[in-house]
Amino acid sequence: MDAQLAEVRALEAEIAALRRACEEPRAAGEDSWRAQKSLREIFFSDSEGWASSKDLRSHLGHFFSELRFLSTLTGISIRNYSFFLEDLTNTEKKEKSIMKVLQRHRLSGNCRMITFQLEFQILEIQNKESLSSVITDLNIIMEPTEYSELSDFVSRAEERRDLLMFFRSLHFFVEWCEYRKRTFEHFKEKYPAAVHLPEGAASSCMAVRSTCQPGFELVIVWRVQIDEEGKVLPKLDLLPKAPQQALKLDQNRALETAPLSFRALLGTLGIEAALESLIQSLCTADYN
Amino acid sequence: MEWANDGKSRGGVLAHLERLEIEVNRSRKNLEDLQRAQAVESALGTKIHKLRCLRDELRAEVKQRQARVKASTVNVEPDQTPEISEQEVAERRKENVKAILQAYRFTGLSGKLTSRGVCVCISTAFEGNLLDSYFIDLVIQKPLRIHHHSIPVFIPLEEISAKYLQTNIQHFLFCLCEYLNAYAGRKYQADRLQSDFAAFLAGPLRRNSLCNLLSFTYKVEPRGQSFPFCARLLYKDLTTALPTDVTVTYQGTDALSSSWEEQRASHENLFFSKPLHQVFTSFARKGEKLDMSLVS
Repeated sequence: MDAQLAEVRALEAEIAALRRACEEPRAAGEDSWRAQKSLREIFFSDSEGWASSKDLRSHLGHFFSELRFLSTLTGISIRNYSFFLEDLTNTEKKEKSIMKVLQRHRLSGNCRMITFQLEFQILEIQNKESLSSVITDLNIIMEPTEYSELSDFVSRAEERRDLLMFFRSLHFFVEWCEYRKRTFEHFKEKYPAAVHLPEGAASSCMAVRSTCQPGFELVIVWRVQIDEEGKVLPKLDLLPKAPQQALKLDQNRALETAPLSFRALLGTLGIEAALESLIQSLCTADYN
Repeated sequence: MEWANDGKSRGGVLAHLERLEIEVNRSRKNLEDLQRAQAVESALGTKIHKLRCLRDELRAEVKQRQARVKASTVNVEPDQTPEISEQEVAERRKENVKAILQAYRFTGLSGKLTSRGVCVCISTAFEGNLLDSYFIDLVIQKPLRIHHHSIPVFIPLEEISAKYLQTNIQHFLFCLCEYLNAYAGRKYQADRLQSDFAAFLAGPLRRNSLCNLLSFTYKVEPRGQSFPFCARLLYKDLTTALPTDVTVTYQGTDALSSSWEEQRASHENLFFSKPLHQVFTSFARKGEKLDMSLVS
């Protein structure tokens, strides 16, 4: 608080000096020299905003290091931020001891490929016993909007004004989507004939076909869901496809029970190993 | 409850931290100077911003005048003119970056680099209410260690750091974040119940410091004389702000009629699914209706 007050005074003093400098008549010689001198005095004074260029650059480097650290840690890169305050203190007698300030914040940035723009308001109420800070409004705009799972999540976050959960869940959601993409690409590379990505690696499905039994196909649908509490979880399902004749021959109902068995496999081996074993079991027929 | 992200390696963050150690050692003195000079955020921010804009305008104007008298003046230091604009630009960038660093608190994790490593600040919130922040000061060495912190003693910090601190700092901090936010949420609910709905409680709310075991005797109408219900809420899962075990028992002097039993059961459900203070808000609102239905 004191530092800020000092800065305000320094700024006011400087503005006054600058104003004087502007008013000085445009004459060569002594008058101009005096104006120069007062500016020089200001530039080399000690207050915080007046560090010499060299110090400023090293401070800036330090700040950028902090920024890099925080954006790596949280997964969120904030590019722009601004806010302003509105004093809502009611000057009526009975509410005099209560201070109310409305803060309006605007922030934008990205989490990998997803960019967001947020506008929110915080109402700060200070009374005799305590200070409370409440988010009273939250507006979120996100692009790209092709992740349909996100739109529900965003509405929920806006409704609950849960800013912290929004950022945390967004980070994990993006991480899961990227992991899914890497996994699909990995299998495509390893089994180029068997694995197909009909909607691309960034989508939610991967199809596995046997090259010698073209009618059979196993489609793995991998969704990334965000639950009510903001927890991000992968949800994988297996959709087997087979020709009619095969279904008739399937007396052990292997195809019907395949989705359930796949779930069990996931639980035991984890995602990558389960997918690997699924692909291999379909492909061993090819190599025999 | 495990944070569901499959424990992938975070080698990138540790390697990054090693690079930071080198940078930090190089500018140790400047860091210390800077720390002393850092201003605390306050409502004067706006005023300062406005004054700065005004000052920038005036500077530009003075610069123009300087350029005009330059040719005819003795003692002019030509270096000063470019100095101003370079400084202005650097100043503006610095302000922008500082503001963004402040904004990180809205993501739940913020912090700053220290001469030893990094000091991380964890913010907590519950239903839009911004609550306490906690800090944890980490020393970047092998092994990583905690220099000091403001985490309450009943949060299982040793357990969490034993599991994750050395292998995955991000996971460690996110896990702490989960525990602290859940604790802050439980505490907020208990505080609100005590302060806003004292009229509904017989005697004080019994609670432990972790706020995961609460018991109280209550009534549903503000005007009623007796306190017919006794509730016990247990939050076994320390990462949530809703209870895992709820027991509501009927203590009233009337015989246990079916309507009391219905109420008792519905209260149990309410406590499971809604935050504590919201349950009592709904009691306060339904007070009138319940009055009529109790005549049986």
